[in-house]
Amino acid sequence: MNRPPAWIRIKIQGERGGFRLWLPLFLLAPLALIIFIILSPLILIAVIVLWPSGWGRWALSALRAAYNVLCALRGLKVDIQSRRETVYIDIT
Amino acid sequence: MTENRKKILEMLAENKISVDDAYRLLNTIESAEGSRESAPKSGTATKAKPKYLRVTIIPDPDHENSKDVDRVNVRVPMSLLRAGIKLTSLIPTEAREKVDGALKDKGIDFSTRNMKPEDIEELIESLSELEVDIISSKGEKVKVFVE
Repeated sequence: MNRPPAWIRIKIQGERGGFRLWLPLFLLAPLALIIFIILSPLILIAVIVLWPSGWGRWALSALRAAYNVLCALRGLKVDIQSRRETVYIDIT
Repeated sequence: MTENRKKILEMLAENKISVDDAYRLLNTIESAEGSRESAPKSGTATKAKPKYLRVTIIPDPDHENSKDVDRVNVRVPMSLLRAGIKLTSLIPTEAREKVDGALKDKGIDFSTRNMKPEDIEELIESLSELEVDIISSKGEKVKVFVE
């Protein structure tokens, strides 16, 4: 089943400092869903207005593709370590 | 006993065919059934679909500069490749024509419009054979493979 990732861990460390981000996406998903539901009438109107020009179908496809890309990110891992810098991204 | 075998034996009993003919026909049926049964087995024996594209760079411990080498470990899900390739269908026609034209100018006769989901699967399946293994003079071991 296609489902979005549950966690995103990002760690970037450089000479001047860095930051760590630990994002539990599964907790943010209900919030995103609420925002989507609130915005859905606007999205629907935009799609209806744009439909005759052909961009409405494109907008719907783009929304679906964006969701698919988000789901496909599950399993991505980037771990780069040099002497001075570290970049770590883990999406699970 | 299958219908075909019964028919052959009946024809033999009625002397419509010789023993040799019956033997040959029975062998033909047997080999046909054998190949049919073995087909699904050979299908399951095929390699599992690759899940990730991996790129690793690690220092060669035997090299003197191995401490200066960056370590890289990247794992890209194949599903991301699929999704990325499918995104090409969202490219507006004008932009797509420009891209195709630019590729043609470079001598690459390829159109993103002609890319089908079957082609993507074929491409990903063919990647399962991919294995790049490089040991550079800088003391790096570079590996690109799928798992």
